[in-house]
Amino acid sequence: MDIKDIKVLVKLVTQTDITEFELENGDQKLVIRRGSAPVVTAIPAPVINPVQQTPAPFVPTSAAAPEAAPEMPVKSATEGCEKVLSPIVGTFYRSPSPESESYVEVGSVVEKGQILCIIEAMKLMNEIEAEFKCKVVKILKENAEVVEYGETLFLVEAL
Amino acid sequence: MSQQARQLQILKLFQQQQGAYLSGAEISRVLGVSRTAVWKHIEQLRSLGYRIEAVTARGYRLHGSPDLLLPAEIRTELETEVIGRELVYFAETDSTNDRAHALAREGAVEGTVVIAEAQKAGKGRLGRHWVSPPGVNLYASIVLRPSIAPRQAPQLTFLSAAAVARAIAEMTRLRPTVKWPNDVLLSGRKVAGLLNELDAETERIRYLVLGIGININMTADQFPADLRYPASSLALETGSTVSRRLLTCALLRQLDKLYALYLEQGFEPILQAWQDYFDLTGQQVEVSEQAGICRGRVLGLDGEGALLLRLADDSVKRILAGDVRPL
Repeated sequence: MDIKDIKVLVKLVTQTDITEFELENGDQKLVIRRGSAPVVTAIPAPVINPVQQTPAPFVPTSAAAPEAAPEMPVKSATEGCEKVLSPIVGTFYRSPSPESESYVEVGSVVEKGQILCIIEAMKLMNEIEAEFKCKVVKILKENAEVVEYGETLFLVEAL
Repeated sequence: MSQQARQLQILKLFQQQQGAYLSGAEISRVLGVSRTAVWKHIEQLRSLGYRIEAVTARGYRLHGSPDLLLPAEIRTELETEVIGRELVYFAETDSTNDRAHALAREGAVEGTVVIAEAQKAGKGRLGRHWVSPPGVNLYASIVLRPSIAPRQAPQLTFLSAAAVARAIAEMTRLRPTVKWPNDVLLSGRKVAGLLNELDAETERIRYLVLGIGININMTADQFPADLRYPASSLALETGSTVSRRLLTCALLRQLDKLYALYLEQGFEPILQAWQDYFDLTGQQVEVSEQAGICRGRVLGLDGEGALLLRLADDSVKRILAGDVRPL
């Protein structure tokens, strides 16, 4: 991580309502804190209206304590690698069925749109596709492991 | 115009006649095809199971329809806003979910419903097979494009389960129950299964496919012996044949209602609708998770739809995935 990366991260954090941000990478650790006391506010989920003519107002319906919106899953540069993040909380599957082969292994080269893994949540199957042609550098989760929203699943190198 | 479209048009003409005779000349005029072509279409409809009488000098008369799920048959009773806006019908296909994916990628409108009389490769969870014999059950997949975040998409599982339970209750007068989070049971046996699939970018849903399979008139000998969970059909539970057409209409209507409610008021009323059919609160259950098996008493669901269990050590465990069985 060099000063340029830190600058980018600080900028990212200050553009959101995140008050505290921690990043650990090997023996490096970066903490960014803002303000005096952490203020927790409910932030409505981003409303995106792709094709609907009459967008319905939408409010997140979590009955649990409101939490600050986590950083949107974006791909951030880390030592030449890009992260593939989980868009939902769920179970990570590396293959379409227990008997079949994994979608990808470390070193696999995948085309844009090719499936990397499945995340299952409440019986909803979410196929995660590569958003660009890339090589799989690291697989950070075990098959059938529970993953959190925004957690890194893969490190990939854009080709 | 395809052969199928012409046949549907003839059925529509019969429906308008309400049992009266329809001359071959009239059919050929409306369809813009020859009398011979009309005769061929009538023969094909007969082979599908339609009982069509032909009387010289009077024409054709429909006096019996098979219980098929043809769009023309469904549409007459539909009365929905969004769900079923487009109906796509297959006598047989690989998997309605796969067809729905393909259509959605080509830009199919929200509410497009794919129905098949039979599936050669009916899909279950994680590569499992959904038994799909022809003409007895419902295999349907619905394309939705809600403007919600991908992480909210699992909420739609509860929506389709509640719609299926309501439609079954409406048609059979029986009391279905839901097995958390998605199966629908009658007398503890599975009669419907759901397989929802999401296609999303990191923060935007491109589309969602709700896959729904309901065992309607399946007979005992049509179930394989090695099922993972005891299964049944509506006909086996009620003791009489259930109209597939009416059940399909009831399901699409319930989906339409719940989806409108969801877009307007969010997840809470959907979860409530689902909980009307949930009977395990307060019961001891066993949950098999990836990590192993745990036992506890069901406290209910949290606002996200996760199952809350009180364990033997009095702690509360929040479950996001697993197979639940009552003890």
